[in-house]
Amino acid sequence: MRHPGAYSGLLAGGLSGKTGPHSLPLARIKKIMKNSSDEVKMISGEAPIVFSKACELFIEELTKRAWMVTLKAKRRTIHKEDVAFAVINTDIFDFLVNLVTENSSKSEEPQPVMKA
Amino acid sequence: MVEEQDKLLPIANVGRIMKHILPRNAKISKEAKETMQECVSEFVSFVTSEASDKCRKENRKTLNGDDICWALSTLGLDNFSEVMSRYLHKFREFERQKVEQNKASSNEEKDEVTSNVFGLKPNSSALLEFGILEKGGSSSAKRK
Repeated sequence: MRHPGAYSGLLAGGLSGKTGPHSLPLARIKKIMKNSSDEVKMISGEAPIVFSKACELFIEELTKRAWMVTLKAKRRTIHKEDVAFAVINTDIFDFLVNLVTENSSKSEEPQPVMKA
Repeated sequence: MVEEQDKLLPIANVGRIMKHILPRNAKISKEAKETMQECVSEFVSFVTSEASDKCRKENRKTLNGDDICWALSTLGLDNFSEVMSRYLHKFREFERQKVEQNKASSNEEKDEVTSNVFGLKPNSSALLEFGILEKGGSSSAKRK
């Protein structure tokens, strides 16, 4: 398994620019990649590193969109329904629609939250 | 055996990345982080499947960074694809420089050895040392 090097300077900005080599564990990424299909045989060393950055961007994008939903509902806490809503309303995240709707099938609209 | 957690990225890391992009007063529910974990894993699987499909069609065994960039683009994730292509390019350049630096420093080491006691080429002196050590193993055998 290749070791994460000092790539933190690359494309500075985003979390990986500040918190050391990688913000996500490469070994775990590799496991998920291998799980994705039986066809996946060998994975080059750079692939998990590329995904580490890609996942960071993905999380940032989806989080930003979810936050927009939260703000509209005049809340300050992002709920999973906000994430679901963001997914449903973003074309490029169509592949996630089933995932978020089967998760949120139990709850309906975002409920007003009472602070503890 | 693949445990459930092995299929997800750690919630702490995911939460940190989410927090980083949000204003200070923003909060994230645990369920939202869990949902994000699942979405990221699905993202990785989705893109990897597409990339590995390409490898299979091209009779290649190893999935590389270019395949991922290609898959991102094919799946309509163009923004990601562009950024990742640039990242990959810089990463490869960085790796290339590292290799060149290593070569340069090992060349320097070789020069030092030749100017040493034996006056022999670096490889042969190393072999000599090893040969002596293997034969006797005693300190007298080392002296040559």
